Amino acid sequence: MSSRPLHELADIVRSKNAGPYRITFDVMFTDRARYEQVRDSEAIRPQTVAAAYGLDISQISSFFHVDQAMAIKVTIIRPRAQGAAGDGDMYGCQHHVPLMNIAVPVT
Amino acid sequence: MVNVGPVTVLTPTGTLGYGFGDEALARGMSLKPAVIAVDAGSTDPGPSYLGSGKPLVSDYGIRRELKVLISAAHAAGIPVIVGSAGGAGTGEQVDRTTALVRDIVAELGIHLKLAWIYADIPIERAKAAVRAGVIEDFEAGTPLTEDILDSTCSLVAQMGHEPICEALEGGADVIIAGRACDDSVIASFPIWRGADPALAIHMGKILECGAFSAEPFAMDVMLGTLYDDHFILEPGSTERRASVKSVAAHSLYERENPFSQGGPGHQMDLSNCAFEQVTERQVKVVGARMTATDDYYVKLEGARLAGYHSICIAGMRCPTFAGAVGGLLDEARARAVDYIAPEKAHITFHLYGRNGVMKELELAPPSGHELGLVIDVVAQTQELAHAVCHHISGGLLHRHYPDVINPSGNLAFPYSPSDIDLGPHYEFSAYHLMKVGSPTELFPVHFEEL
Repeated sequence: MSSRPLHELADIVRSKNAGPYRITFDVMFTDRARYEQVRDSEAIRPQTVAAAYGLDISQISSFFHVDQAMAIKVTIIRPRAQGAAGDGDMYGCQHHVPLMNIAVPVT
Repeated sequence: MVNVGPVTVLTPTGTLGYGFGDEALARGMSLKPAVIAVDAGSTDPGPSYLGSGKPLVSDYGIRRELKVLISAAHAAGIPVIVGSAGGAGTGEQVDRTTALVRDIVAELGIHLKLAWIYADIPIERAKAAVRAGVIEDFEAGTPLTEDILDSTCSLVAQMGHEPICEALEGGADVIIAGRACDDSVIASFPIWRGADPALAIHMGKILECGAFSAEPFAMDVMLGTLYDDHFILEPGSTERRASVKSVAAHSLYERENPFSQGGPGHQMDLSNCAFEQVTERQVKVVGARMTATDDYYVKLEGARLAGYHSICIAGMRCPTFAGAVGGLLDEARARAVDYIAPEKAHITFHLYGRNGVMKELELAPPSGHELGLVIDVVAQTQELAHAVCHHISGGLLHRHYPDVINPSGNLAFPYSPSDIDLGPHYEFSAYHLMKVGSPTELFPVHFEEL
């Protein structure tokens, strides 16, 4: 079995603030079979997302498969609040790359 | 349920001042909306707008767009509702926006009834709530205390639709609301007209970002029409379409839980929502459910002055310096800490090319031939922040290190002065829920005939 990075399989991988204390990630697909393949591979799950960012699993705030939107949604607790001294991404919109580089097994 | 007939809401853009197409607005107005409703802010641009009271968008930008919207609404005989005026929805920002409305109305030579609604929460009112034990943490991670409130310089709460409905009931043609829940700004008019609040609020969640829920997405006009048991979304511009994909995607945007979302006085259940492509450019949405919560909570948003900010921007091109930079920054930080002891400063190195964006979350190995550095200092006074920033920038510029090949300077400054004072640094201090006795008690409505 080989693998491909998530960004070659998903149509959109994005990050954004969800309030000042969270960053939420959406992985979105247009093709249902492909969505289900990635979902069912379990390559994207709280543990793998935490590992991609060097986070403890306790910092993963929530994780959802959103079948009706063909999306995987995961949210992390910000290491520092939005706009606190040292924050480097006010909108949280440039945090997606480690997620999109996670390898997903493909047959 | 009362059959109120369809109610169309036109939302011109995702944030007032960020623009919309003239053709899109004209076409949207031809669809006979019952109201123009638009959001003008959120916490998204950061705590500075809340703390300082300065506006997110220039007066020029707000005036330009409000003039177009008020003209169109006046001609059509429909109201205009603006929520979270000025960016954070503080009283100062509401006053600034209403002043622009008065100018516009005078310039247009028209007459209308203006309403404005403050969302500022007196610190003493919140402290009393702390003492009464009716404040809960939302996501701040710490309880709200009287000490934190004493250090808070600006405190607002997100109003629900009820104060805006009160302004509509009072006959307002233009409503400038302080901080408001984004969804409520859009939902208020349909709810006032008797529409199903669950559907109205769900429609508000999608419409509040304008044509961000369309494809191609943009800050542009979006319309939603509420019927008894569903709503239909359609962009103003014929160059765009609403698709099941674009609408479903937007339902996830900027929120953590796609199935369950709390708002002022209610909890939304979106787990049974369904989207259907009814025409090439229109999407039908059904299935939102809402439960009124036993107690009515509003979300507080507070900011405190956390110090003063100075920064220095520099580039690095030499591979020998890039190899040594980690240790040199650590050393520069330690020297600065010694230099100002016992006073303190918060020093951050945003090292672009390494981990400037994500800091400790960045695990990728170094790459690239250039590095960008922002030296970022927050201290109790501007003078101290500046002194620390220059101590670091000047020190790094001329620091010797092993393997140095160019001893004449380590940093390429794009600016003189090299060190820039950014002024006050604000941080969020409150992001908590406060129980209130009624949905309108904290949000007084004022009227003026213009």
